[in-house]
Amino acid sequence: MKTVSDLRSDIGEILLNETQIQSRVAELGAQVSNDYAGRSLTLVSVLKGSLPFMADLMRSIDRPLRIDLMEVSSYGGATTESSGLVRILKDLSSSIEGEDVLIVEDIIDTGLTLNYLVRYLRGKKPASLRICTLLDKPARRLVEIDVDYIGFTIPDQFVVGYGLDYGELYRNLRFVGVLRPEVYSGIE
Amino acid sequence: MIDPASHRPLDGPAASREAALPAAAGVVPFTRRAFAHASEAEMSRILDFYGVQWHYEPTTFPILWNQEGEVVESFSPDFFLPEFDLYLEMTTLKQSLVRKKNRKLRRLRELYPDIRIKLFYARDFRAMMLKYGRFGLAQSLSGASGQLVGGERLGDLSVPEPISLVLPEPGLELGRVPESSAGVTVARRRAGRSTERSATLDRGAAIGDRESETV
Repeated sequence: MKTVSDLRSDIGEILLNETQIQSRVAELGAQVSNDYAGRSLTLVSVLKGSLPFMADLMRSIDRPLRIDLMEVSSYGGATTESSGLVRILKDLSSSIEGEDVLIVEDIIDTGLTLNYLVRYLRGKKPASLRICTLLDKPARRLVEIDVDYIGFTIPDQFVVGYGLDYGELYRNLRFVGVLRPEVYSGIE
Repeated sequence: MIDPASHRPLDGPAASREAALPAAAGVVPFTRRAFAHASEAEMSRILDFYGVQWHYEPTTFPILWNQEGEVVESFSPDFFLPEFDLYLEMTTLKQSLVRKKNRKLRRLRELYPDIRIKLFYARDFRAMMLKYGRFGLAQSLSGASGQLVGGERLGDLSVPEPISLVLPEPGLELGRVPESSAGVTVARRRAGRSTERSATLDRGAAIGDRESETV
């Protein structure tokens, strides 16, 4: 069993420290507050990675808002269906029809998951649908998606922390760091 | 066959497959398909998983002609994603072959500036497999070991480097393989791949076997 100290030692480089993250999240919150003035906003967070970002962002938005949570199966994960198709593991709790919806993501790289989610949510007929991500890794983009709010654009490195995991660990780190290659290179 | 104006596939199995796709549900996975490289098969499964429509090598783009106006070199990107108007080329080969593919890609972009194409390098594929918790699979599929038939490498399918570069004859439509030369070019490619395909695959079986070993 790894200790918190072990987790920290697995990090090769801190890419974004806690102060940087909190400062940027506050800026994003102010921007969202301004853009959605006079409108009712629903934040939809995608489990599990975006939980810390969602928690901080919603408290930085100075507007009445609702929140909802979704989870979709990931390719190759334990929840992958035998059908080989993505599956909604947790759907919205209430209707978003006619609502202004902001998807809150932890990271966008290939864009495949988000593309699926956007198509799914558009089918629920929200008044508007925008995307906010803490991290954007454009070098890995496979499908182009218009992202409305981006916290940080990061290089093509494997990052963990602040919700992002490797093997379900590292999510509780307060910073975003680059995982040492030796941590994952030996894992089959 | 491709539309010379849009460079899009007009017919063939890909077109009929697209017609069968339910619009709302995304895509019907085509899990019985021959691929030249196991990484391509894995990519197709990922695209299927996320409901992204794809066509496998639907278009052959001529990129070099000889003095007689015959196509001597062409490029068939691995995937076309119609929803994103994007071609995707998988490159999980050794560096020398990547250079050759980069050259072909540059040539393609010069001749067909409207084409949107992304080259997916070995490092991109490894990173994607890592993201999906399949680092072992990434290692096993990269480079020569990822080829589905021993002795036949994707890079071997390339036409040798030309001595001189010849631009197409005036009036020759880019994106369309002339009837007289299409047979030569396409047949050459297919001759190279036919061995692979006859000796393989059923993608599901190939990948399934690998998964059981590595994941």
